[in-house]
Amino acid sequence: MDQTEIFDRVVKILTPYVKSQEALEGASLATHILDELKVNSARLVDVVLEFEDAFDIEIDDDDVDKVETVGNAVELIEAKIG
Amino acid sequence: MALRPKAPLLAGVHRKLVLQREISRLLSPLTIPVMGIALRWVLGYRIENLRGFRREYRRVCLKRDGPLMICANHLTMIDSLVIAWALGSPCWYFRHFRTLPWNVPERSIFAATHFMRMAIYALKCLPVERGGNRLEVTEVLFRLAHAVSNHEVAMIFPEAGRSRTGRVDPDSVASGVGRIYRSVPNCTVICVYLRGDHQDGYSDMPVRGEFFRGSVSAIEPKTSYRGLRASRDIARQIAQRLANMEQEYFDDRK
Repeated sequence: MDQTEIFDRVVKILTPYVKSQEALEGASLATHILDELKVNSARLVDVVLEFEDAFDIEIDDDDVDKVETVGNAVELIEAKIG
Repeated sequence: MALRPKAPLLAGVHRKLVLQREISRLLSPLTIPVMGIALRWVLGYRIENLRGFRREYRRVCLKRDGPLMICANHLTMIDSLVIAWALGSPCWYFRHFRTLPWNVPERSIFAATHFMRMAIYALKCLPVERGGNRLEVTEVLFRLAHAVSNHEVAMIFPEAGRSRTGRVDPDSVASGVGRIYRSVPNCTVICVYLRGDHQDGYSDMPVRGEFFRGSVSAIEPKTSYRGLRASRDIARQIAQRLANMEQEYFDDRK
């Protein structure tokens, strides 16, 4: 699975949690999930759990702390997929 | 496992916590009675079966030798103060200072001025910016976990912020409380549900002269999940217990 495909799936997963749809439309790897997409911090856990299901991976608590931007999420998933 | 930093960081955290605890202890003959007087006589708060609340907390603290964490519902900005008052008398806290719970107040509200920062420092508080930088939030969670693993008692609200619906919603909890629990072997969770008669939804403060009712129960959640899912599952179990206690509260008032 290439980075573009992971990015598209990450954005799709984020969609229901995003308060700023405008920011989502112009999302890039550098887009900040909490600050720019306005995802509630408590809901970030739901997002990451959806990553686990969608990509069939297991993410540890500590990994969640590293997910600040869409790019961080993509990199984490890429690393887990191997 | 969650919330395990490297040894040098651990030593620094330990020193800071011990220093804060000892300063808090030195100032406690002033701070604890002042808080009690403010809640009871200035704000006029009362708690139904206060002795029962304190007896149950004493029983759990004395019976369980392991780490303890208090998890409570969250409706007003001063819930942690009211709960600490409900759970122990000044004499109890003087004799068993570890049972005066550590708290994690919102930094922007409770640490806005130098005076407030000093005051909450003396009341065993570790301010946190909710929804702020993930690594900073995690560092505060780690400090709490370290305190709990050293047989201090910490108080944390599974919903993170005040319940916007006025009710405990197990589906909306964050995973922080689960991370702490999983980081501390043999931890017991003391669930506290407390609500004022006039508290329909969330607010900044309970009304003056408020009468609180509620209950206390101890649980040791288990999970078969791993990783983040395990932390979320633990947090939901705790919130579910609080939701059940809330249901009992409303059933009793019918």
